Amino acid sequence: MHYPIGLLFDLLASSSALPWNITVHFKSFPEKDLLHCPSKDVIEAHFMSCVKEADALKHKSQVINEMQKKDHKQLWMGLQNDRFDQFWAINRKLMEYPAEENGFRYIPFRIYQTTTERPFIQKLFRPMAADGQLHTLGDLLKEVCPSAIAPEDGERKNQVMIHGIEPMLETPLQWLSEHLSYPDNFLHISIIPQPTD
Amino acid sequence: MSFSMEEDEFFGEKVFQHYCAEFIKHSQQIGDGWEWRTSKDCSDGYMCKTHFQIKSGTLVSHPETSAHAQTCLPMEEALESPLDDSEVTETDTATEVIKYEYHVVYSCSYQVPVLYFRASFLDGKPLALKDIWERVHECYKTRLLQGPWDTITQQEHPILGQPFFVLHPCKTSEFMTPVFKSSQKTNRNFNYITSWLSIVGPAVGLNLPLSYARAASWDE
Repeated sequence: MHYPIGLLFDLLASSSALPWNITVHFKSFPEKDLLHCPSKDVIEAHFMSCVKEADALKHKSQVINEMQKKDHKQLWMGLQNDRFDQFWAINRKLMEYPAEENGFRYIPFRIYQTTTERPFIQKLFRPMAADGQLHTLGDLLKEVCPSAIAPEDGERKNQVMIHGIEPMLETPLQWLSEHLSYPDNFLHISIIPQPTD
Repeated sequence: MSFSMEEDEFFGEKVFQHYCAEFIKHSQQIGDGWEWRTSKDCSDGYMCKTHFQIKSGTLVSHPETSAHAQTCLPMEEALESPLDDSEVTETDTATEVIKYEYHVVYSCSYQVPVLYFRASFLDGKPLALKDIWERVHECYKTRLLQGPWDTITQQEHPILGQPFFVLHPCKTSEFMTPVFKSSQKTNRNFNYITSWLSIVGPAVGLNLPLSYARAASWDE
């Protein structure tokens, strides 16, 4: 899949011990279900497409559009070659916001659950309320995926995971977006059943 | 707790659904095959249409037809792009039927409609992007070939989860805003979906009969 490997692990195998053993198939590619990746260019195009979409949400595409093609290239090359400084030199601009604002316009996020046909939930969601209060991870889930948060009196049925950890639901979404986004600038959030052990 | 949409967002999801409903009304009147599908878990949905394109391999006897003759169903000139030699079959009656599916889905990130499409043979084997290229009219090829991966990418359908080709929506707002603004000035009947689809559709083999332009708008 074209999903980040960490996301796939959280979503499908978080209870497995590392190293994660996977089976690689060489025949019968499931054309109807999976995206092909015929070349590195396709992966780059897909990655840039996600970065652009994230910026459309955060800055109405202003920051990404002001960049030159060589900046876009640097973002991709930094990721491809595991050169964080090269990557961050460009990506930090995508993490800024105007001084008069308190955050991004909307937060780029996708919520994944293995139990639904829909591949992920993605909606418009602001980092703060009209009164200036910062929205939290809990606020987001309550609004777009209420089944993820069990009722207060019951035991939590699900884990809410990003990068293999469960951030506190009180964490401000703006902070999560700036610090816990994936390289494509999205927060990829997995909702998985609590492990029974 | 509900969060209202921003005022300057003139093309929100509800507006999208409304234009689609009007579009489909006309489609039903002329039998153009568009229908609305609601997603199972949510109130959002999309508009879709399937059409079949039939191509005959060779016509043996008739002297006036070219060796690459093809019949397209429905009859659309834009689809008569020349085939490679490799596509002419040996047998007289070999036909190639291709199923095209077009979906119009709303993108909340760009706040515009997005065209998703895919094509497959009847046995289910999907067409690759390069196969679809070959069936695009010459006049669109130059522009699209300049950066096929910039304008067309393969992505997961946001509701169905299956791979579809997508016409990238990042420029849609740019070319649709003047259309929208001028329609407001002239008070013409305006359907965003009709105008938008008539611009982007033909590049990927989807044509709209002219009667859509004359269809009544939702104000009447």
